[in-house]
Amino acid sequence: MCEWEPGISTQFPSTPGNQTEAAPSNLVLCLLKQGQSPVERRLTPHTPAASPSVPGQEDIQAAMPVEELDPSHYPATRAAKVAEHFINTRYGSPFAWFGSSGVKKAGLEFTLKEMTRNDMGLCSAEVLFHRADERKPPQVQCTCSGAFQVNTSAEEEDLYQRLRNATSLLSGSDIPNSVGHIDPEMAPFWHLGGVASSFIMLRESNESTLLNMAHIDNFTQMETKDAQLMFQYDILLHDMVSQEILKWKLLLSWSPDGGVKVLEAEWDPKCHKILFLHLFIIFLIYPNKTIY
Amino acid sequence: MSYLPANYKNVQCTPVCKQRQHAKSNKTRTSFCHACFVTHGILIFCRLIKGHEARNYDYTIYHPLAEISTWMGQMVSENPDVVTLVDYGSTYENRTISLLKIGLKSDVTKKAVWMDCGIHAREWISPAFCQYFVKEILRTYKTDSKVEELLKNLDFYITPVLNVDGYLYTWKDNTTRLWRKTRSPGTDGCDCIGTDLNRNFEANWGMVGVSQNCCSNVYPGFKALSEAEARSVVDFVEPRKNDIVCFFTIHSYGQLILFPYGHPNVTAPNYNELAEISQAAAKAIKAVHGMTYTVGSFAEALYPAAGSSMDWARLIGIPFAFTFELRDEGSFELPENQILPTCEETYAGVHSVITYVHNKIFYSAAITASATLWTTLSSSLLYFTLLYFT
Repeated sequence: MCEWEPGISTQFPSTPGNQTEAAPSNLVLCLLKQGQSPVERRLTPHTPAASPSVPGQEDIQAAMPVEELDPSHYPATRAAKVAEHFINTRYGSPFAWFGSSGVKKAGLEFTLKEMTRNDMGLCSAEVLFHRADERKPPQVQCTCSGAFQVNTSAEEEDLYQRLRNATSLLSGSDIPNSVGHIDPEMAPFWHLGGVASSFIMLRESNESTLLNMAHIDNFTQMETKDAQLMFQYDILLHDMVSQEILKWKLLLSWSPDGGVKVLEAEWDPKCHKILFLHLFIIFLIYPNKTIY
Repeated sequence: MSYLPANYKNVQCTPVCKQRQHAKSNKTRTSFCHACFVTHGILIFCRLIKGHEARNYDYTIYHPLAEISTWMGQMVSENPDVVTLVDYGSTYENRTISLLKIGLKSDVTKKAVWMDCGIHAREWISPAFCQYFVKEILRTYKTDSKVEELLKNLDFYITPVLNVDGYLYTWKDNTTRLWRKTRSPGTDGCDCIGTDLNRNFEANWGMVGVSQNCCSNVYPGFKALSEAEARSVVDFVEPRKNDIVCFFTIHSYGQLILFPYGHPNVTAPNYNELAEISQAAAKAIKAVHGMTYTVGSFAEALYPAAGSSMDWARLIGIPFAFTFELRDEGSFELPENQILPTCEETYAGVHSVITYVHNKIFYSAAITASATLWTTLSSSLLYFTLLYFT
């Protein structure tokens, strides 16, 4: 019996229906802007273009009064990290991986880096933590502008075709290795693991967490019949606040058109007198293009 | 900067010889260089004027424990007039904890700076920085008068790896790489190994930012100073607390410069000064490679936590205590190609702090001394004048 929990709630709603909360229709989610005009990622006929209007503020309650936050204090850093996860779930891909770096204003403005090309920009965000119900993931809305090259469809298509036409299924392990090295051919799978992790990290975040993907133990490509490529990942997340390493097993699918979807996610708790494993199997269907 | 380029692993070459290299391969370079310095015989002369560098030691890769121990011995043998090795404690698994004492010899007791690296086993960039710091002050003190003055007035106590057992464990295989704590066994029927050394000190021990479950990565131990490693620090630092003016503890990741306290309800009396020093250090860091380091008290900028070595140092009266969290912002496994830039910027930050502290002690003291002298002289003059007229 596991007596110890790392501070991460194990009480997940387990049916798909509870996962996606219909957001208010006037919520504008992150727009990564190049120059003046907003650039939407992965627009397809299924996704109505998000309205470029400024979001209504009425239904957003700040988690804590903005005037209490200092940009150098940890609540602002943690909120920026949540926004980072959110941005990765929306804009991350095997060729685009975002990190928050340096809070400028507590209310909340932070530097955003796209780490594969070192592009930089500024995001302003509102992050709402549901204190009454910690099972609810934080809500984020944000606007980012900067020299971001968000169109990675050429590289994605290229990788997708290579994997589709390969004679054997791909796998990898120990990414990065102990000295921080990632093989260039493995880098897209590091980012893919990161995007998938971002769905988990976003869900798991609260005011007392600061989550990062620490390591990919291994990943394996799975057989699929349909257009989506499928991968099983064993990932280690790190929570700065508890300092714990959290093992997650993820089943994810990806294609340039379909984006990243997390199909199954299982947390492997640290039990030391393991009589039976507690398996929490969560079916998460979070398409990159969310219909609002 | 070093005349040894970072990737120039196994060849020691003089500046003169370097100019004459045209060969691209290491082997050809090696034989060419050897021929060159034998012909010119400049090597000894170069070393005399440039200061000593450990032969073949690469500061841009991570080194296992055995290599660090050998390197420490090399630092002593190559710089015997300024470097001493001090074995000051042992770990749970009975390994020796050592520091390098660096400073110009003096007849009087000197003020000192403490720096420990590798309290947390998985933070590999931390021991890498301590090694770089040692290398850098030894390389520059003969030619840089400011560094020379620091070594003249201060002794530096540098522990490259404090949590020796933990560090060794992280080198075992890729499943152990992310270990944090010591390797002492659990107690009271608790099955897990290890205590968080940075929660084990006598500084509001166990009050906040800990878990009493021994499996937790922030387990503070069954009591304060339960860990041999923590006791080793205390046994060395406590008797010297009136001489140690500056206390650094180096960690990763997060890019933060933190000052006391980790306990949220305690404020250091010199909070404002500590904040100013830290801001200046962050500015110095940014000037090197543009990286942003966030500044704040430990409790405000990171999380509330009691029992840290920094909190303990401040509580016993060491006025300037800092926790540096180095690169990057998401990972313990910092790529090796970031070791050098991280060390360079951290050196600038640490150097800025040490310079402030040094100048405050030695220049303010000088001002105080001359003010005292002047006061004495003028009051003596007044006394004798009065005496004369009465």
